[in-house]
Amino acid sequence: MSASAVRHFTFAFGAAFALFYVIARLRGLALFTVYPAQGIVLLGLHRSRDFADPVLDFLAPEMYWYGWTASAAVGALVVGLIAALLPDRFSSFLAWCVCIFPPMAMVACVYLTIPWFRL
Amino acid sequence: MATTLLILHGLAAVALIGAITHQALATCTPPNAKPNSFFGRFRAIPAAGFANAIVLLYLTSWLLGAVVYLYFKVDIQPILERDRHWHAMGFFDLKEDFIVIGLGVLPAYWFCWRGPANGQHHRMRTILTVLLAFTVWWSFLVGHVMNDIRGFGS
Repeated sequence: MSASAVRHFTFAFGAAFALFYVIARLRGLALFTVYPAQGIVLLGLHRSRDFADPVLDFLAPEMYWYGWTASAAVGALVVGLIAALLPDRFSSFLAWCVCIFPPMAMVACVYLTIPWFRL
Repeated sequence: MATTLLILHGLAAVALIGAITHQALATCTPPNAKPNSFFGRFRAIPAAGFANAIVLLYLTSWLLGAVVYLYFKVDIQPILERDRHWHAMGFFDLKEDFIVIGLGVLPAYWFCWRGPANGQHHRMRTILTVLLAFTVWWSFLVGHVMNDIRGFGS
């Protein structure tokens, strides 16, 4: 793998990862759901309240963070591999993307977290 | 087990915050800083030498944090919700988001610090290093507050 391909891959991966993570978080696109109390991992997004009374939700807390991370990683891997094939003239654009997308994703995450501060 | 992992997570985070702060200050200090001043001394350190250690420490800290998070969700979060620590929960949510976004940036950060710095690379180094430094500092402070929350502010 040439240095140019590695550069394109790493830059595109960083930018796409941030973008896909926000999309996964926004749309609930978790590759899997973890139930730490039961030690269960289920493919896709599952909510305890879909299977049990909502007041018993605390008995089976679900975790999406691992699933969101995995979803973003898979998406970013695909984008990174495609970007590795791009010619050198895209280098500046990809460098721009990796500098802009992650901070923007962080701002988007702040926005998504606002409900906690309204309680 | 959870306590041991949490202590290891904290130790990795302390090493990481030291390394990334040194590197960020070395990168951001203007070239005309006086050599014997506080910031001038940061400028003098070989910042590129920290990059591999930072990547390794970030991954270690993230992995340990991801394991400890399982215990947090079952044993700690219900107590925080019962005690209505909503702001702390919000800050912790941001910590997990920022850490993951930083994780995605890590390969690009590593690549930027590999070669000699030209104009564009230097700018990218600065942006990505400051981004990671902010992420690490945020996570460190929020993690510390969460760890002490039952004494903190109560």
